[in-house]
Amino acid sequence: MAENVNPVVLPADVAILAAQNEANQAPSQKLPPGEWLKKNLFSTPGNSIVTIIVGAIAAAALFFAARWVIDSDFQIVRTNLRSFMIGQFPRDELWRPWASAYVLLAGIGLTSGALARSSYELSVSQELPAEKESILGLARRFWGIIAVMIFFVSFARTVLPFIGLAGAFALVIVAREVGWRLPASVRRSAAFIGASLVVISTLVLSGTSHLGGLVLGLIAFIWVLREVGRRDLPAGITGIAMRVAPALLAAIVVYVIQRAIPHEGFGWEDWGGLHITLFTTVVGITLGMPFGILLALGRRSDLPVLKTVSVLFIEFVRGVPLISLLLASGLLLPLFLPVDFDRPADLTLAIVVIMFFSAAYIAEIVRGGLQAVPKGQTEAAQASGMSAASVQRLIVLPQALRAVIPAMVGQFIALFKDTSLLSIIGILEFLRVSDTSNAQPEFVGKGLAGVTYLFVALGYWAFAYTLSKESRRLELKLGVGTR
Amino acid sequence: MINWLLRALAVSLVLIVVYVIARLIYDTYKLFRTRASRDDKAVLWRDVGAIGIAAQLVVLGALAALFSYLWSNFRARTDLIGLDLNFDFLDQPGNISIADNPLTPGDSVGAAITQGFLNTIRVIMIGIPLALLLGTLVGVSRFSSNYLLRKIATGYVEFFRNIPVLVVIVFLWGAVFLNGFPRSQEAWKPLNSWFIFSNNRFAFPSLMGQDNFEAYRLILVVALFVAIAVAVWRTTVFNNTGAPHHRVLWGLGTFAAIAAVAYVLLGGPVTTSKPDLDDRGRVFSGGIRMQMPYAALTFALVIYTATHIAEIVRGSIMAVHKGQEEAANALALSTFQRYRFVILPQAMRVAFPPLISQFLNFTKNSSLAIAIGFTETTSLIQNLFGQSQPAPQLILILALLYLTLSLVLSAFGNIINRRLQIVGR
Repeated sequence: MAENVNPVVLPADVAILAAQNEANQAPSQKLPPGEWLKKNLFSTPGNSIVTIIVGAIAAAALFFAARWVIDSDFQIVRTNLRSFMIGQFPRDELWRPWASAYVLLAGIGLTSGALARSSYELSVSQELPAEKESILGLARRFWGIIAVMIFFVSFARTVLPFIGLAGAFALVIVAREVGWRLPASVRRSAAFIGASLVVISTLVLSGTSHLGGLVLGLIAFIWVLREVGRRDLPAGITGIAMRVAPALLAAIVVYVIQRAIPHEGFGWEDWGGLHITLFTTVVGITLGMPFGILLALGRRSDLPVLKTVSVLFIEFVRGVPLISLLLASGLLLPLFLPVDFDRPADLTLAIVVIMFFSAAYIAEIVRGGLQAVPKGQTEAAQASGMSAASVQRLIVLPQALRAVIPAMVGQFIALFKDTSLLSIIGILEFLRVSDTSNAQPEFVGKGLAGVTYLFVALGYWAFAYTLSKESRRLELKLGVGTR
Repeated sequence: MINWLLRALAVSLVLIVVYVIARLIYDTYKLFRTRASRDDKAVLWRDVGAIGIAAQLVVLGALAALFSYLWSNFRARTDLIGLDLNFDFLDQPGNISIADNPLTPGDSVGAAITQGFLNTIRVIMIGIPLALLLGTLVGVSRFSSNYLLRKIATGYVEFFRNIPVLVVIVFLWGAVFLNGFPRSQEAWKPLNSWFIFSNNRFAFPSLMGQDNFEAYRLILVVALFVAIAVAVWRTTVFNNTGAPHHRVLWGLGTFAAIAAVAYVLLGGPVTTSKPDLDDRGRVFSGGIRMQMPYAALTFALVIYTATHIAEIVRGSIMAVHKGQEEAANALALSTFQRYRFVILPQAMRVAFPPLISQFLNFTKNSSLAIAIGFTETTSLIQNLFGQSQPAPQLILILALLYLTLSLVLSAFGNIINRRLQIVGR
């Protein structure tokens, strides 16, 4: 596979998608129902037997499942809906989760709108067919999440969550439209705006903090560094100083402003439910990414020390189950901290372990991408006199990372599902809420575990299914694996 | 076994450190020798080799500093709570008992861990073949000309692939097995109570050996080897003459014939054993008795892993060139023959490496037994934490056991994979 991966320029995606659609539409001749049945279900005697047996089993399974669902009492979900979403977050501070979700959705909408517009402009400039995706098209892509969200809200006992959800959908659409209409000079910073809004949405919950200031400062630093880097700067140390100085200044200003806002909040010891599941996944992948890229480069290095260390780390983490690492996070990790250091929250320890865990898996994915970059690329870069670091940073990594975006989404889904293991070490995430609900006095011993597990399963399914479809779409779009 | 593994770990760590340092010294020596023999050498701080060695020394130094810092913290903390850092506890009595297991509370911690590890192996020995079978069937079903079969296979894969395996496990355990089956007092006993289903145990009929069973078992082992020899002979005949080999038929026939003759001669060394439970529904006896957590874990892992295997099978079938299928059709092969002799053998070559990684995932996911209380390696070691056995050593042992299992599985996989590739090309 490796040598066949061909880094395709972005507009090509539209052509590929168009060809795909055409191919999909070709065999759709309508048959009358009788002939359709005969062709698809009863073409041969063997086929008929299969149809009858499989149909009978499926009908029986469907019947029992439907009877079970109808007979079940969903009161437990109604009572605990809020816990499923946000865990034990203080109930008189509910504006925070809503505000946080709205800021997050605004960020997602803005960024996706801006990126879609840039891709559209590129296609137009290359005279390729392109069109703006309609709201209906978006709804079709994300129907899983939308349907399950509406389903979840249907358990609410007041009308407020309905209004909140409708507002959220409206906000995404409006933000996407705004993102689409942003001027090109702003649009190219869309990723930074999105990242900042994601961090700010977290700060709405947790309150302003040193950590929040540092993360926002880091984003500002990279953003300004990139913007200044677009201009012509003198070579040598003055040029570097002219780039770094404003970036550093921006970072400090952002940090100071963030610290100056007196906003108290609730740390992640108070978070829970679906929110902590999503949060841990995003943080785990984001923190694991840089570390994973370094490990992948280390594993491909010719230097024996770097290679050995990387291989040992990656193979160790990948060879043991995540649950053993999570057990170690509670029992072993605190023993490595200085004696006068207080024990951090369980979730903090778990996130550290999840970071290492995802780094090892990301490293293997990135290694696959690195192998897919033709050797000629490296050689050409070296021949033009680039330093070893520049070759990796400017030539190899951009191509390698581009090729592994779908696999990265796959890893994101895997980690999203794996965060359910946090329930075993006692963190109140999405799955564990169903256990705590079933331990409540009014529900204990009534055999309602199935109801809550089904509810939880649907929640996981919506996100994982939608993302895996998106990953497949990206794969087509990026032309990974096509020849 | 555990002590032996620990020793192997120590030896390999020492070997790795020695290798790294030896390589560094050798590289430095080589660097200076080449530099001495060259006239056009670069200044030292621009020499790529020198930069590489310097970078490695820096990394090594940083790692050493980090580890010594962590180690000193670790020692300080363990001294504070009075934790011994030796492995003597492995020989102390474990106070652990496992359902349906001869382990007594007086047995040592090491023996208990070994029993837990055997339980892990019991899960994967049954589960992996089942998952492979189900996954292959589902994967092939997705190419069926039957609309219903195709859609059901797709629905199954798309649903179970996208929910966490832990949810599948707890659902099967908490909702289906505990609540879906009757209590053992009113157990469901189909087929004249040859089968017993309750929310406590499943029980199936089994075979039970008589007094001369040992002799019969020996004969069966010999028969197995004879059968393999016959199969090899048929293969040789086929290779030399091209006559139909029917080696599976011949081999199984030989085995069955020897087994049947010996059965008659020894006067029925094996009888069937019927499961039974007393009037109060308490004690099960006879047959194969399956603990519910074991059944829940194994079936849940099979259901979950089979979806991933089905996707691999589907992808690998799609990777087989379309012309192969068309050629098979042109030769008027039946659907079964087409898959058995043309498509699957070629698809297998593509599918095998990702299949190995699914088997490894299965093995690692078996540790989720911890959530439903089936006492395999991980949940046994968690029980030991509860008895204030030393956590750091136990976690090391836990990791070591899974690493060993992963290594052995992937080594086997690699051997088979290499054979597949050579046979193919």
